[in-house]
Amino acid sequence: MGDSDERQALDAAPGSWGAVFATTATTVFLAELGDKTQLAALLLSAQSGRPLVVFAGASLALISSSLVGVVLGRWLARLLAPELLERLAGILMVVLGLWLGRQAMLTLPMFTAAAG
Amino acid sequence: MSPILGLLASTFVTVFLAELGDKTQLAIVTISGTSSRPGAVFAGSASALVLASLVGAAAGGSLSSLIPTNLLQLAASLGFLLIGAQLIRKSLGATEQDPSAAAMGPEAGEVPAPNHSAD
Repeated sequence: MGDSDERQALDAAPGSWGAVFATTATTVFLAELGDKTQLAALLLSAQSGRPLVVFAGASLALISSSLVGVVLGRWLARLLAPELLERLAGILMVVLGLWLGRQAMLTLPMFTAAAG
Repeated sequence: MSPILGLLASTFVTVFLAELGDKTQLAIVTISGTSSRPGAVFAGSASALVLASLVGAAAGGSLSSLIPTNLLQLAASLGFLLIGAQLIRKSLGATEQDPSAAAMGPEAGEVPAPNHSAD
């Protein structure tokens, strides 16, 4: 396994298990909270039937999608040089941040009032 | 297939496809690729996603009237920008000891993680 030098490079940014967990959880939670209205509608639409089953299915899907994301990230970490990956990841995060910020701004009352 | 399994499967497929390539998944790829703790990233993202959908479901369609979700998203976007700036700065510092790289994000400092001194 070429794991050791990869680990060494990555350990430049260690962070305890709890710190990584908290950072990831906070970022994902805040980013997703606004988007979960769609899922709420899905759950409400199923209220006549079985909302718990819908919730279980949705949760499994969300857990699977984050597993796919984590595995994809580890695969890229094996494939690319750490500094290249960091640069690409940094650019992606900045683009996502700008896009997410724009989405949030557009839903602020003062902007929706101006648009409508 | 029983109706319950059918409903479970159709919900799974719907939500899974909706989440593929979503901004959150891209963020997870980014965090996982540049961190040495994939287990923590998985646990954090999975629990946050389930919790967010639970909060959304509990509040029904009126979530945005209960809490300022757009302000929370704005906070999240700032978090994305900060993490991104840190990563770019770090990648520049790794390839060349360029002092101009440090000038790019003075507010980010030399701190790679919020509480790296915890352990």
